[in-house]
Formats: sequence, C-alpha cells, structure tokens
Amino acid sequence: MKAIIILDQIQSGLGGKERADTPLGGKKLAMGSAETIDKALAKVDGSIMATFYCGTAYYADNPTLVQDKFAKMATKMGADVVIAGPTYDYPEFSRMAMAIAAHIQDTTDIPVLVASASEKNADALSEFQDRLAIVKMPKKGGTGLSDGIANLATGCQIVTQGGDLATFKSEFCYHS
Amino acid sequence: MQKKFEQILMPVATKLGNNVVLRSLRDGFLIITPLIIVTSIFLLLANFPIPGWESFWTGILGEGWTSWFSAVSNSVFSFTGILSCMAIGYAYGKNRGLEAIHSAVVALISFLILTPTTVEVGKQTTSAVGLTYVGPNGIFLGIFIAIFSVEIYRFAVKRHWTIKMPDGVPPAVSQSFDALIPSAMVIVAFFLVRIAFTLSPFDTAYNFIYSMLQAPLKHVGNSLPSVLLYNFLASLLWCFGINGPTITNSVWSPIFFVLTQDNLKAFQNHLPLPHIYTQPFIDIFTTYGGGGSTLSLLIVMFAICKSKRIRELGKLAILPGIFGINEPIIFGLPVVLNPIIAIPFIVVPVLNTLISGIVFTIGWVPYTNGVLLPWTTPPIISGWLATGSWTGSVLQLFEIVLGIIIYYPFVKMLDKQYLGDEQAAAEADLEIDFSEV
Repeated sequence: MKAIIILDQIQSGLGGKERADTPLGGKKLAMGSAETIDKALAKVDGSIMATFYCGTAYYADNPTLVQDKFAKMATKMGADVVIAGPTYDYPEFSRMAMAIAAHIQDTTDIPVLVASASEKNADALSEFQDRLAIVKMPKKGGTGLSDGIANLATGCQIVTQGGDLATFKSEFCYHS
Repeated sequence: MQKKFEQILMPVATKLGNNVVLRSLRDGFLIITPLIIVTSIFLLLANFPIPGWESFWTGILGEGWTSWFSAVSNSVFSFTGILSCMAIGYAYGKNRGLEAIHSAVVALISFLILTPTTVEVGKQTTSAVGLTYVGPNGIFLGIFIAIFSVEIYRFAVKRHWTIKMPDGVPPAVSQSFDALIPSAMVIVAFFLVRIAFTLSPFDTAYNFIYSMLQAPLKHVGNSLPSVLLYNFLASLLWCFGINGPTITNSVWSPIFFVLTQDNLKAFQNHLPLPHIYTQPFIDIFTTYGGGGSTLSLLIVMFAICKSKRIRELGKLAILPGIFGINEPIIFGLPVVLNPIIAIPFIVVPVLNTLISGIVFTIGWVPYTNGVLLPWTTPPIISGWLATGSWTGSVLQLFEIVLGIIIYYPFVKMLDKQYLGDEQAAAEADLEIDFSEV
C-alpha cells in the first residue's frame, strides 16, 4: 500500500509559523513527522511514497490551486491512499487538510483519510466529519498519539483493501 | 519497550492531565503569572545587577526612588496567597461549569473569613490584616479555600437550592438571587471552620495549613531528587508526544510557586535568598531552547550535520530556538515518537538539573532571585538577570556545550540516515514537479 501524506510547513519540517508562506511542493520521501506515520504504515505493509507540503498562509491565498495540484499529482503518481495530517489542534492546518481531502475524494478515485484533533476544530469538523473519514487524534501535546497513529494506519489498510469502513468510522473517526 | 512505557505512563498522564483540581491549580496560577512577570520587571529595575546602579539613580532621582518601584512589585508579591485563592477559585468554578466570577468572589470572601483581622503592636491590638497571611505563606491555604468554597457553592447550585425570580426580572438581578443560598452556605461553612480553628491548638487555619502542609511540602519539593524527577518525567512524556510540563506542573507548580515567591520577597527586602529550586531555576538552568534543551540539538543540526534536510531545519529553527520556541523540531525533526532522539532529549535536561543543583548548592552561582523573566528571554542574558551574576551565564554556556556533546552522536545517527536518503534522492530525483499537472 503506497500512501501520499499532506502536511503543512511545521509538520513537514520546513519551519515554524513564520514560514506559513511556504508554497506547495513535494518530495518522494517521508518528510518531518511523516517518518512516524511511515513506521506505523510499515506494520500494515504500507509506506509513504511521497510528502506533499504547503504553508497554511499560502494555501489560504491559493486554495483552488493547491487542491487541484495535489489531487492531480496524487492521481498521476498512482497513490493507493492519501493521508492529510495529523493536524493536531492547529486550526488553519486542520481546515486546509479537510478541504484538500474533500476535493481529492470528490475528484479522484483515491481514498482519503484525515487525522485531526477536536480542540479548536469544532467548526471544520462539523462541516467535514460526515463527508470524510477523520481519524481522532489528540491535540498537540495531548495523550493518545501512538494509538491515534496506529488507528490511522489501520484505516489506511481498510480503505485500500475494501474492509469495513463503517465500523472503523464509528469507532475511531468523528461523526455526528 | 516503547509500548510498555506507554501502557504505564498514558493512564497516569491522562488522569493527571484531566484531573479538574490539578487543572484548575495550573490555570489559576496562569492567571496571575502575567502580573508576576510585569511586576518582576519593576523589582528588577529597582535592583538591577550592575554595581553602582542604585547610587547612580539616587543621584538623579533622589533618595527613596526604589520605593516607587517596590510599591508596584509589592502589589502582587505581598498578596500572592489571596490572589492565588481568587484565581484558582475562578478557574475551578469555570472548569466545574459555574459562573467563574461568582466562584472567584466566594473563594475570596472565604479566604477573608479565615484570615486574622487583628495585629498585635506592642501591648496594643489593632484592626489590620498581616501581610504574612495574604502573601506567599498563605498560598496553600488559598488553594484549599478556593477548592472547598467552590465545591460547597457547586453542591448548592447543583441541587437548585436557589431563589427563583419571576420572568421579566433582569438577568443580572436573577443571577444575583441565584447565588444567594449557595453563597450563604459557603459563608456559614467557613464561619464554622474559623470557630473550630479558634478552639484548636492551631488557633488559625493559616497556622494549621502552613505547619502541617505548606512547610513539609516545600521541604520535599525543594530538593534535588524532586526536580530531577520533575524534569525526567516532563522530557519522557514529550517523547510520547505528550506536553510533559503540562502534566508535571499539575503536581509541582504549587510548590515551585511558593518557593519562587519566598525568594522574591527575600530579594525585595535585601535578605538572603532561601531556596535553590524555584521556577526560574527550572526554566533558566535546566533546559535551553525549550523542553529537552533543544538549543543544543539545534546547534548540532545547524553547525555539524551534513544532511541538507537537518541543516535546513536547524537553520530555520535556530532563531526561534534561542527564544525558547522548539515546535518546528518537536514535530519537524521529529522528536515526538523518535526513539533515537528520545535518549538525549531525556538525558540532557536531567543532567543539566543535576549539574545546576550541585553548582548552586556549592555556591558557585548565587541562588535565583525569583524574578519571573518572560519565557522568551534568551540564555546567557536570563542566567545573568536571574542570579545577578555572570557566573549564571557561564553555567548556562557550559550546559549548552555539554548538551551539544551529548546530542552529537544521536543526531549524527539521524544525519547519516537522512544523508543516505538524500543521496538516493539525488540519484533518483525525488523532487516532485507540480508544474507537470
């Protein structure tokens, strides 16, 4: 199972909040916090094939461009699944991840999972939780990160192997 | 191993992190922390650690100019007990779903009920409140009063023991009547507590809490093993992605707060500083650049590593790192759930704590004056301001260099791995060109 992960500038190791203007880009490897996701995916026979990154301010100025480029590139690269996040309780990154995920889900055949915290993301979650599989994650510095990442990897396995996503969603994802 | 640690640590960390009392203590202290930082600056200006500072300004401003500044610092430092009570009452009430301002006021009144209101001057008794009761020595009493008074208040509110006003009465008036019976219950309860203590050998609740709890806890907390455990747990939890200090502060913050206030009062009154293990000791002499003392890690990344990815991140994160912001590397390197970096991330702060504890005990560096500097104050400057001595800066410099040495072999392991990835990337051209789509 080959996954593409979408991260912001902080999670991809390209700097802090002051680098929010980082334009969209990507590398065919696991960047920054994607390393941890890569290790979790390895346990379910998966790996990160590429990291797509984009600064949150750059995205806010160019949402359509970023959504479109990420969706088309994920299709071109033949990803089995796209992961957006973990976004923790960063509200800008969370909204960006959910909106990009929704676009990829609507315009491609690639399954998408988002990983996010509920804190500071109430509005975005109420908008996207019924349309997307948004795996529960702790806020930044909260407890339960390992379990959340393991659940995310399991979710990737289920969506790529056609497993029971409904049970997974009701147990590990946000829903109304 | 990691899984086992998690199985043991997670439930404890979750319980501590979610405990409403501990959370309220932390939140309550955070309410008064900005006041302490601002008034600390006034104290520092009146006692700036430069020889001849006071006499220089006396020549310009005249005798007694320091009293202008101490009036400001006294406004907080002499009242930390009562301020803590009010702030914790506010936070606890809020966390328990009550009107926070009512909770704060109820806690304040309960504190005043238990506070002696007469002072003996010679053979005469005068109506006054001694600063002893409302200052640092009253902090633990303030904590207990805040929790118990709000809990009694909540007991009545939950059972709807309130006076209901008819519709049409303005909400402010209605809320005021809602609070009547719960407030009366709190006041009666503390009235009885005061009488009970008057009849006991302790005479006051203050004497009881101070001698039975605050003094012994201060003694236990003010020790090297205590702060070693604090920093070990704080760093260990970060490695699992949990904000360690948030959890450990739930337990230690009341103790550090009291110890810091003791030093501040002594510094203000030009008395010998009593304690080593204050909040500034923890903040300024155990970690540099944030949790895990990551400034040392950043210097290795920036100056020594060869992998482009690590060097770039080091370059980007070094400036925020100097000011104590390490978010970019906590998640970007990453530190979280990274077993290689976990070892120095835990060892360096613990070793710094040990060395600083020994150095302060020997007396090579003067004790911290208790001044709470803004957390973004860079090392070297913070060491000097916190101790009033250049030896504080030297100790910081030594520990940063020691941290570099400890981090080096572990970061090099990562560097080697990332360098291999990058060389493979250069051959395979791993850059993704989005202009193709």
